[in-house]
Amino acid sequence: MILVVAEQREEALNRASWEAIAAAQQMAGAWPIAVLALGASVGDVATQLAQADVAEVLTGEHAALRHYTPDAFTMALKGVIDQKKPAVVLMAHTYQARDFAPMLAARLRVSLITDVIGISGDGASATFTRPMFQGKLTATVRATSSGPAIVTVQIGAFRADAVRRGGSPSVSPVEITIDTAAIRQQPEAPFQEAKQAVDLSQAERIVAVGRGIKSQDNLPLAQNLAKAMGAEIAASRPICDSGWLPMERQVGSSGQTVAPRLYVALGISGAIQHLVGMKGSRTIVAINKDADAPIFEVADYGIVGDLFEIVPALTAELEKK
Amino acid sequence: MKIAVCIKQVPTREWQPRLTDDKTWIREQDASFEMNEPDAYALEEALRLREKLSGEVVVCSAGPSRVQQVIREALARGADRALHVEDNSLAAADAAMTAEALAAAMGEETFDLVLTGLQSDDQGHAQMGVILAERLGIPHSTIIMEVQVDENPTTGPGQGRLRVKRELEGGWFQWIAMPLPALLTIQSGINQLRYATLKGIMAAKKKEIKKVPLSGGLKPAQEILSLSSPVRSKQTQMIGGTPADAAKELVRRLREEARVL
Amino acid sequence: MTRETLEVDVLIVGGGPAGLSAALRLSQLQKQQGGEPLAIAVLEKAREAGAHILSGAVLDPSTLRDLIPDFQAKGAPLLSPVQRDNVYMLTERSKLRLPIVPPPLKNHGNYLISLSQFVQWLAQQVEAEGIDFFSGFAGQDVLTDGIRVIGVRTGDRGVGKQGEHKPTYEAGVDIHAKVTIFCDGVRGNLTKRLIQEFQLSKDREPEQYAVGLKELWDIPGGRIEPGTVVHTLGYPLRHEEFGGAFIYALPENRLALGFVTGLDYADPLFDPHMAFNRLKKHPLVASLIEGGTLVRYGAKALPEGGWNTIPKLHMAGGLIAGDAGGFMNSMRLKGIHLAMRSGMLAAETAFDAIRAGDTSEAALKTYQDKIDASPIRTELYPVRNVHQAFGYGLFAGLMFSGMTLLAGGRWIGDLRGRPGYQRMKTLAWYYGLDVPVTRPSNVATIDRLTTFDKLTNVHYSGTAHEEDQPSHLIVQTEVCSSRCGPEYGHPCTRFCPANVYEIIRETGQPPRLQINASNCVHCKTCDIMDPYQVITWVPPEGGGGPQYNGM
Repeated sequence: MILVVAEQREEALNRASWEAIAAAQQMAGAWPIAVLALGASVGDVATQLAQADVAEVLTGEHAALRHYTPDAFTMALKGVIDQKKPAVVLMAHTYQARDFAPMLAARLRVSLITDVIGISGDGASATFTRPMFQGKLTATVRATSSGPAIVTVQIGAFRADAVRRGGSPSVSPVEITIDTAAIRQQPEAPFQEAKQAVDLSQAERIVAVGRGIKSQDNLPLAQNLAKAMGAEIAASRPICDSGWLPMERQVGSSGQTVAPRLYVALGISGAIQHLVGMKGSRTIVAINKDADAPIFEVADYGIVGDLFEIVPALTAELEKK
Repeated sequence: MKIAVCIKQVPTREWQPRLTDDKTWIREQDASFEMNEPDAYALEEALRLREKLSGEVVVCSAGPSRVQQVIREALARGADRALHVEDNSLAAADAAMTAEALAAAMGEETFDLVLTGLQSDDQGHAQMGVILAERLGIPHSTIIMEVQVDENPTTGPGQGRLRVKRELEGGWFQWIAMPLPALLTIQSGINQLRYATLKGIMAAKKKEIKKVPLSGGLKPAQEILSLSSPVRSKQTQMIGGTPADAAKELVRRLREEARVL
Repeated sequence: MTRETLEVDVLIVGGGPAGLSAALRLSQLQKQQGGEPLAIAVLEKAREAGAHILSGAVLDPSTLRDLIPDFQAKGAPLLSPVQRDNVYMLTERSKLRLPIVPPPLKNHGNYLISLSQFVQWLAQQVEAEGIDFFSGFAGQDVLTDGIRVIGVRTGDRGVGKQGEHKPTYEAGVDIHAKVTIFCDGVRGNLTKRLIQEFQLSKDREPEQYAVGLKELWDIPGGRIEPGTVVHTLGYPLRHEEFGGAFIYALPENRLALGFVTGLDYADPLFDPHMAFNRLKKHPLVASLIEGGTLVRYGAKALPEGGWNTIPKLHMAGGLIAGDAGGFMNSMRLKGIHLAMRSGMLAAETAFDAIRAGDTSEAALKTYQDKIDASPIRTELYPVRNVHQAFGYGLFAGLMFSGMTLLAGGRWIGDLRGRPGYQRMKTLAWYYGLDVPVTRPSNVATIDRLTTFDKLTNVHYSGTAHEEDQPSHLIVQTEVCSSRCGPEYGHPCTRFCPANVYEIIRETGQPPRLQINASNCVHCKTCDIMDPYQVITWVPPEGGGGPQYNGM
């Protein structure tokens, strides 16, 4: 059986949990899928999860799970795994999972495969692909320890909207045992901070401009598109060298390496120094008036044309509705 | 305060991968190497803590003999001494095996604080530090942006306490307290890396690098079946027509085919 | 601010073949003769030994045998003995193999190496002797007291683009030495200053240079036998241009492919990198690299002038060795063994002088005496006019070289040379134009499979620099926006093999020079070839530059 560990904070379900369920449905084969919600009070979350076509939803409730600590979560999960004996434990590769999954794996002495972007095969013979060397290479790996394999899936690698729904899984509590005296961390309440630096590597969508934008005065064209798309603005090197955008917005070998779900390159020729910074993006759109520009070699969708006409048309199309 | 910093030697960022014939590892002969960037920030943080609180910084690394390069760089930057678990099999070892190797070597000493980078720039498992903490029996926290050490607490048990700022998704952060000894995995950019000075390089030659053989019976927890360059299997779809038509078609495809809007 | 100082006996600036041979020789002399151990330091601007080293290369092992007799046992990375030599004369579509390989180009007994890898190995030998090898430190300034060289100041680190001190700022260190051996390479920035300050080139012929562009390729098997050495003349160069290609077949289906162009061409619109691309389209080369993978790219100047252009090499407290002195045999296309020998001789001179407590100019003159009595002179003197003869054209050069060979270098009088940059003609003289034209005269098609634009090539040099630092190319920019365009058409945009120089034209504005300093591969071509001589190359922050693994 596959145990999917959902993530919630203050009773709001993390959307990435659906991606983990989608991954589980892809690789389950003959195995039944159980989804686990951990927290102090997870009734609402469990009801939402029960929409998925899975065998069962488990609620693991304990006061010590109200605020996340790796110690409490590891103890709780170990107990559940000892009871339910899954073949695979699956969760999304969130900051929280990165914080406790290795501890859980170490305590159980089992394999943990992190940041998975693809799964081949199903059941016990499944293999996993994950990025290595900062996305320059893709590795196909398998777990070699005996016992359950723990797997975390990269955010966005599996589609939440691909989850098969319409099952009517049972929703039942599972026993949670935590030695509260053994919890060593004391967390304070999370808070938000005004972002001082731009972190393009977190952006899901990026609109990047290159020399084709011709002048700093034309930047609003791109910024309007970015806004309509819910995207961050980025740039190739010449734009940042000219000071039209700050250096933190530079994508490329001397700037940031990004792999968003959508990368729209406007007037960027695709010099290799830029490509190495973005070719890992899930979907690449290129708009350039030069049909021979190297950017088209890595683009999924391309439009050869005048960006000054196409970009406003795109923005208008997106703003419709 | 005795601080351990675990550092890894990885291929440089500019290096273009070339694979072995069986495609299960990289051709190392063509690579040049450097210190894993998050580990460099962990080292700098350790050096700053030592400047504030006095003590010792011990650099720990597991790998073949070539990792001496980064050990010596760490000593030149100011670390006091080093532990090197030396074995060729560690070149391609996964995070679990590396953590076990280091735990066996480091377990002989008592460190107040262990710092590592949040993940390595080569295999990128983001596991080593946390597994190491479990093996050393100390609490941990990951992706740390700031470290406060209170060596003489008026409240709470133990010899000292940590309060650390952890990075969460989407611009959220959280402070967490825990007792020492503890392990932290450090986020890049947390501080400014100092240069190794000439005097530092000269002094490094006299600092101790203790070679520790690899414990027997350690195995990786995962196996690389094959490595490949990410291949774009899709053909580029060129969209023609007037700007308005092309825009409409592109948005349609992004919504319905690629599902990124 | 008080600057840190370091006192040593011998400071060697530059961790290349000459500098490392000097260091090794010093440690040998120390062991042989005992006495108070000398404090020796080697400064190297690259992040690690060999990173900035580039050459073909075919190594004449004579000096290696003298320096490290047990080099085989010590694992010297000699990739392959040379098995066969071929020389071709090329036209655009065809090749003519010379039936006899000219004796200077016979490489029997020599080895194919990667000089970068060889230097890494030499550096390991040096470090095994306990000598301090300071990589990531650039020699920024010569320290003198007006009469003697007293040492070198390293470059500041942690300086931002506007010259401001960043939080990590470290002032350069003043390293004082009894003798400083300058091995800072072809057109070394420190040696350039020494030549000016101590008038070392008075009574010498002006230095002559070429630029070498090199690529390392992985090619499909079975096309060429490892150990094969090929040199070419002719296409893509014209009779008025000096240079040619080299193709060295390395083991494991690796190919070292390079192109050398004299930095004394007359056509202001000539582009050496374009010439390299044209070469790659020639059937001889295309048939080798088609379907292959580019592994690495790089460029470096070569000191071509020969014996008569070597400056005075000694002054109080200082000696010059290696390419910085210009010990290359341009007829044999070999300089490594000579650089190494000069390093050894400099070491011997320095050692004796320090032990005798006399490092004056007179005492250090024994360096010149040693060179005059060594295989360096035996080899370089007879071919002293060869490069200057090529100044009269390809045929003249070939004929002269042939005659020189037969005459054993005996010749009446010496040929004069002119600095290469003075030979570049204006657009008006060469083309009858007085409007700025920048399109190269020798454009080649870029297919991004075997031929590349400069920016793509630079990516394969592994070049990286700290981005937030002042530009290390010092240029008097007034010329760029006024005279240079109409006079020469901004030749820096063509002779730089790394796309460092770009002219930005905005409507209504005079042309503006943009310096992409972080692309710089440290080849020195700009410092050499700029017709106005307004470009000065200084080292960027230590550690930055190319990563020439395998080159």
